[in-house]
Amino acid sequence: MSATATARRWVFAGALVLAVLAALRLVVPVGSVPGRMLASVLDVGYASSVLRLTVPIAFAALGGIFAERAGVINIGIEGFLIVSALTTVIVARRLPWAGVTGPAALWLAFLVGVLVSVAVAAVFAVLVVRYRSNQVIAGLAVWLIALGLAPFITFTLFDSSSPTIDTFGTWSVPLLSELPVVGPVLFDASPTVYMLLVATPLAWYALRYTRLGRRIRACGENPKALATGGVSVSRVRYAGVLISGVLAGVGGAGFTVGQVGTFVAVGQTSINGRGFLGIVAYLFGNYNPFAAVGGAMLFAGFDSLQLRLQQIGALDIPAELFGILPFVVVLVTITLVRRTRVPAALGEPYEGEE
Amino acid sequence: MSRALPEGLRRTLRRFAGLSAVERVLVSGAAVVVALLVGAVMLLGSGYVASCREPALFLAGTSFCFDPVAVYAAMYQGAFGTPVNQALTLQRMTLLIFTGLAFAIPYRAGLFNIGAQGQFVLAALATTVSLLALGPLVSGPVATAVLVPVGLLAGAVVGGLYGLLPGVLKTRYGTNEVISTLLLNFIATGVAVVIVKRAFNNPEIQGTVTRSIPEAATLQPWLFPPGTRFSVPVLAATLLLVGGFWWLLNRTTLGYDIRVLGRQQAAAVFGGVDDDRVTVLSMVIAGAVAGLGGGLYVMMVVGRWQVGLPALGFDGIAVSVLAGNNPVGLVPAGLLFGALQSGGLAINFQLGIPRELVDVLRGLVILLVATPELFRIVGRRLQRQGRLRPAGGESG
Repeated sequence: MSATATARRWVFAGALVLAVLAALRLVVPVGSVPGRMLASVLDVGYASSVLRLTVPIAFAALGGIFAERAGVINIGIEGFLIVSALTTVIVARRLPWAGVTGPAALWLAFLVGVLVSVAVAAVFAVLVVRYRSNQVIAGLAVWLIALGLAPFITFTLFDSSSPTIDTFGTWSVPLLSELPVVGPVLFDASPTVYMLLVATPLAWYALRYTRLGRRIRACGENPKALATGGVSVSRVRYAGVLISGVLAGVGGAGFTVGQVGTFVAVGQTSINGRGFLGIVAYLFGNYNPFAAVGGAMLFAGFDSLQLRLQQIGALDIPAELFGILPFVVVLVTITLVRRTRVPAALGEPYEGEE
Repeated sequence: MSRALPEGLRRTLRRFAGLSAVERVLVSGAAVVVALLVGAVMLLGSGYVASCREPALFLAGTSFCFDPVAVYAAMYQGAFGTPVNQALTLQRMTLLIFTGLAFAIPYRAGLFNIGAQGQFVLAALATTVSLLALGPLVSGPVATAVLVPVGLLAGAVVGGLYGLLPGVLKTRYGTNEVISTLLLNFIATGVAVVIVKRAFNNPEIQGTVTRSIPEAATLQPWLFPPGTRFSVPVLAATLLLVGGFWWLLNRTTLGYDIRVLGRQQAAAVFGGVDDDRVTVLSMVIAGAVAGLGGGLYVMMVVGRWQVGLPALGFDGIAVSVLAGNNPVGLVPAGLLFGALQSGGLAINFQLGIPRELVDVLRGLVILLVATPELFRIVGRRLQRQGRLRPAGGESG
């Protein structure tokens, strides 16, 4: 069912977005404002900013897919993003003391950020796979711990609640970046955008055609059958959760050193729910990597739109309304368009092996 | 826990729950102790890395900025040291019992209500708005008698409706309640901010804040110093409510349905439990209770709606998990987390240690409580090594 249902979801979400835009037009006084609104959407800058904002959400979504397809609910993905973002900032700020500077320091910081995310994922995996934690509660706990650690560590190490670092900047691909429209959007972008463009088809291919991918899917659907075939369910689940840690780490570290160049430690931190949006994105995309990244793009589109519409002074719409729009669209969509096909053994600890 | 059930069924249910009451208490206690130990290690570690003018501790020739023992002592003082501190602890405990119930009741029915925060936020706004609207119309001694129930009712109704929504979405459309309640939290905050900014903003104060509710609707401290923002009658009523929910879960048909549904959905439905009705009802009750908490927060603590309400809804999850999702257990669990919160403020104020240490402890506690198997395996290993006597259930 998944292909048709996913397609239907897309049509529905598209229609919903159009309906929202149409409704906005009714609210907004006629004049130059709607024109300026449309202009701000149909523009190369908007497309690049959407792509940029997609990256962390999409990596969170890809990560979530690997854990859940292996049968492990990973509500804690937001925590993975926070931890990797925090680590990246700390390492990038401390490396110059050790004499490492420039891009080398940034890339090292990125790498350490990913590694720490993987380490957290490993602890989480041991708890849920070996010790059969309640997966939803353990995931929430990972998020809550990260939410506490971020300000605690930031306040002890730095004078500011939002330490800043340099970013990767953009890489432009020779020749291709000069193509009209597509060039500046796809080929003059942050390295993290390229990573996403590579990771998405790779994740799709890995899940569908590799041995590990097939095992991960079997593990989420019918772990007993997998065990009967002589494969260790625990090992496959460990692999799923660790891959999820890698991808989420790339999302969190990449967001920090690839785009914003800062880590805000207060409130919801600079990650600000992007991990949760990732979860919703893969539910929306029915666990298909391409569709999930599409969902992430939808949220990023709203996020970016909000920033742009705020710049049009004449437009009197509260920013918060745009902030919640993605959540509303997602809630309505996952509610009205066919039930999400959840892996059958999701959330169930496997009891068969010691 | 399930004394109303026949012995055979009780044994079966216990096997599904996997834990006896004694084991639960032991696991919760062990989780708190381990979390505090991990917190101490964290304090040492961060105190070693950070630089400070006056190190608090010297160990083996190394200086540390924070001394864990002193920090925990300051936390204890901050939580229980003076009547003012005690009032703050009890105030938080009271509110946490409400948001804890909002997680516990659906959990017993097999549902995750992550949405208490949203229910709390919108209900707090409803209480504020209704009191602001009604305040000028009543005066004199009747005012309190009218305003207090109306304010609480408004909170409960709006919270209940906001809990009804994910309940209906689940039963009618099969929308996973973890996701819907999570999304509804974000939506609630956004909606509340927009409503306040557009209609109820207090022009005299910067930021998104409403005007203050009438004095007559404020729940006054009693037995505690004035200005402490904690009301003893409210705590008494809360404890009665806890008893009421214990009775509801353990002595009524609805409670029986809730528990059976939570433990064995298929068996419950086969046995004639109306799955949809119980789901919707438990979500509505949860929302209403979280809403009462939101109303109380306004009427007892802040006296208005403002941006950045505390995350009591999320803390309620932790409290409920620690309490084994048992209403009676919420009282000690709420006291512990209430003490952690007021203690957190104290260490921040006195020692300059980030208050968020407490949030880490909270997360660690629920992570460990969610993993009883860990303690059981450790306990078994200790037993095998003969360090514990094999009799009794002390292995946890």
